[in-house]
Amino acid sequence: MKAVFLDGIVLGLQMGLLGVGLTLIYGLGGVLNLSHGQFAVLGAIVMARVLQHGASLWMAVPLGLLAAAAVAVLSDLTIMQPVYRLRGEARVLLGLLLMLGVGTIIDGYLEWKYPIEALNIRISGDPISIIGVPMRVGSLVASAIALAAGAALFVFLRYTTFGRATRSIIEDEEGARLCGINPALVRTLIFGLSGALAGLVAVSRAMTSPVISTAGVELTILALIVAVVGGLGSVSGAFVAGVLLGIVNTVSAFYIGTYITTIVLLAAAALTIVFRPAGILGRRA
Amino acid sequence: MSGISTQSTSASRALELFGAYSPIALTAALLALVPLRYSDSRTMMTVIIIGMVFAAYTIAFNIILGSTGQLFLCTGALAGIGGFTSAILTSKHGWPFIPSIVLGTLLASAIGGLLSWVAVRRSLDAIFTGVVTLAFSLSYENLVLGRKDLTGGENGLRVKAAADTILTTRVAPYYVFLGLVVVYLVLYRLIERSHVGWAFRSLRDDEVAAELSGVNVTRYRVYAGLIGSAMLGLAGALFAHNREFIAPTTFAFGAVDVRVLVMLVFGGIGSMLGPVIGAVALTIVDEALVDFAQLRIMLYGIVIVVLFLGFRRGVVPSVAALRERLTHLGRRSTPAAVKPPGSTPRS
Amino acid sequence: MAESAAMGSQSASGAATPHSPAAADPEALLRVESLSSGYLGEDVVLDVNLTVAAGEAVAVIGSNGAGKTTLLKTICGLIPTTAGETRFGSRRLTGLGAHRVARLGVAFVPAERHLFNTMSVEENLALGAYPHRPDPETLDSVFELFPRLGERRGQHAGTMSGGEQQMLAVGRALMSRPRLLILDEPTTGLAPVLASEAYATLGRLRGEGLTVLVAEQHVPLALSLADRAYVLDHGRVDLEGSSAELADNPEVRRAYLGIS
Repeated sequence: MKAVFLDGIVLGLQMGLLGVGLTLIYGLGGVLNLSHGQFAVLGAIVMARVLQHGASLWMAVPLGLLAAAAVAVLSDLTIMQPVYRLRGEARVLLGLLLMLGVGTIIDGYLEWKYPIEALNIRISGDPISIIGVPMRVGSLVASAIALAAGAALFVFLRYTTFGRATRSIIEDEEGARLCGINPALVRTLIFGLSGALAGLVAVSRAMTSPVISTAGVELTILALIVAVVGGLGSVSGAFVAGVLLGIVNTVSAFYIGTYITTIVLLAAAALTIVFRPAGILGRRA
Repeated sequence: MSGISTQSTSASRALELFGAYSPIALTAALLALVPLRYSDSRTMMTVIIIGMVFAAYTIAFNIILGSTGQLFLCTGALAGIGGFTSAILTSKHGWPFIPSIVLGTLLASAIGGLLSWVAVRRSLDAIFTGVVTLAFSLSYENLVLGRKDLTGGENGLRVKAAADTILTTRVAPYYVFLGLVVVYLVLYRLIERSHVGWAFRSLRDDEVAAELSGVNVTRYRVYAGLIGSAMLGLAGALFAHNREFIAPTTFAFGAVDVRVLVMLVFGGIGSMLGPVIGAVALTIVDEALVDFAQLRIMLYGIVIVVLFLGFRRGVVPSVAALRERLTHLGRRSTPAAVKPPGSTPRS
Repeated sequence: MAESAAMGSQSASGAATPHSPAAADPEALLRVESLSSGYLGEDVVLDVNLTVAAGEAVAVIGSNGAGKTTLLKTICGLIPTTAGETRFGSRRLTGLGAHRVARLGVAFVPAERHLFNTMSVEENLALGAYPHRPDPETLDSVFELFPRLGERRGQHAGTMSGGEQQMLAVGRALMSRPRLLILDEPTTGLAPVLASEAYATLGRLRGEGLTVLVAEQHVPLALSLADRAYVLDHGRVDLEGSSAELADNPEVRRAYLGIS
């Protein structure tokens, strides 16, 4: 049971990081990025290709993150521009449909070029005992990466000027503009950051299980569920929701079967929407 | 236009009905001719049968997205619920054909209605609809893959019940699915002309105004979810018996949802014949690109982006503009303007 | 017209004045010329001329819906201009985004305040200084002006009272060390005592040499602060003149001061 719980935390940290990237984009511009998981997979496949050419992890990972960030920035600067000129429901609907299209393009490209490619990162070393449970080094490094990224994001958002500016736009875009903050610029940069975070999720995940080229849709859906349960636009909510859902996920998989986990997650999202639409940490009713 | 309808009410009513339903009859007649060319090729018959199945899916999706603006990203999963339910009941539990199809349809309908109900009760419903329906798609897929005892998992499931019916012959199934498409189109038109259709239109044009004028937005969206999902489930169930073999890929997100979305957007969201036009067009394009099958999904993605970028004014107003354009086209070819009974004229 | 343009006092006599007397003044800090703007293709502000000289306090008065808010938001770049232009010193503001206008030294305090509710007082103030380096002296001066904010620096903006939120909104605007402070209905939702207090604070800022442009429905308060005022009616400048003149104008007295 303790082992299942710890595995849940390992998975949950990854899910949290996945949800954070999605929630940031939503908070800033009202765009539900339905290609978030595909950005992660794209980064993973770039890393896998670079590794196959004999490069080290220290070379492959930055390139993969860069690729994911670049595609994200490109999406923001091109097809998202007409979206930002819209307001309300029309913006939301057009934004998510266009990102669905982008995700489909990435999916199709990967399926065409690299149908059986996968990123698998093995970290060697003897298992380390955590509260009496032997944990694989890969899982621990993966968790450390997710935790470090989460902590870095926390510091960035809370203590740096640019991070505060980001939060201020999520909170009140007009107020931010009156403070001299350029929302378009922040959005573009955070889109890039979100892409890189997606790539980082792929790195972290690849240390526990292979990231295959067709995993995009599934990762996107996981990110969506985490973001909704955490409250759309809430970074801390996404992290907390990710960890909780990770635990729920592994526990239900252990006691019932893997097939039930998404149904449990779907139920969690549905219950959140019905009873706490602002998310588990949400203040607004 | 109103002057001619005053003389004889029954004559003008007949004319109006003719105007409303003749496009369906014309479409059916044209589509009925297609097998004349392909009836000797089993491969081509399969292609056009699948084309008809997708036309049926897309009409159902049009009732949900086009009429009430709910982006259901689980058309494949709902069809799959119908297909797998019916197939499991007949193949594993010895149920007869018809009851299994009815149950599959009802189950899909109930799930679709529930998803609607969850998502539309709050603001942000476009987001929540997308999230719950996508999550449902993944749940469905994992369930099919996970419950190998029922679904055969990745190996798929042999469907036995319809082995001796016309559903497994070469040409006849095409007409079965064409019949289904015609029924769906008539249903679409009936809904459009009823008070439900009037409510759909008013909440699509301006949800807030609709709510203020007493239209229960939630209820009508759930209606659309229930009806559209039942149509998806029924089409999926019939398709399963036609294929005689179903696997997770038969109703997969990548295989169904993306195609249906492209077909609908291509044909015209919120127009009656748009789904059929889109399905026919995409079937032709797919056949032309049969040697580049791997490129197809990427192409779909590009089409989605390009089509929606074309609607710079936003999806919702574009839908209205598109509908306007299509009704104008319709008016030119049919003598009587179609107005729903009991509704105030809207422009 | 040339004669009337020579003296501001005459324009307050009742006739609408298409050319403001100060429009010809090249020294004006803010110069709005023949400005029109609105929403969804319908202009709410029509052909407005307005100037604010450096060190001056100017009020825009008028009833609800006269176009005051639209005028101020257009100046700040929150609403696009349909005709005319706005200049700030030697710079053209028209066509710049709101964030660029803010960076040029025009701070706007909207009636709805647009504070960052889940962020602390300190964070709100720090964001006010976004275009510059963090500046402890300005922060001290804001805390000196509003001791209340200093006491509550860790509190979330959303949990504060209306009066405190108003202080924070002004404080955040001051953090950018603006050359021009624009306020839209600063007394919205404030009890009369707090409203007077708010104007006392604005008077103090004015005394320190800050240029102020304020839109106000509460005309006596506005005229108590301003050197000059413009009366906006249905999007047009109906009257303008010194505060004293306007306070004596029978039309203003009847329509806005409740004295007949």
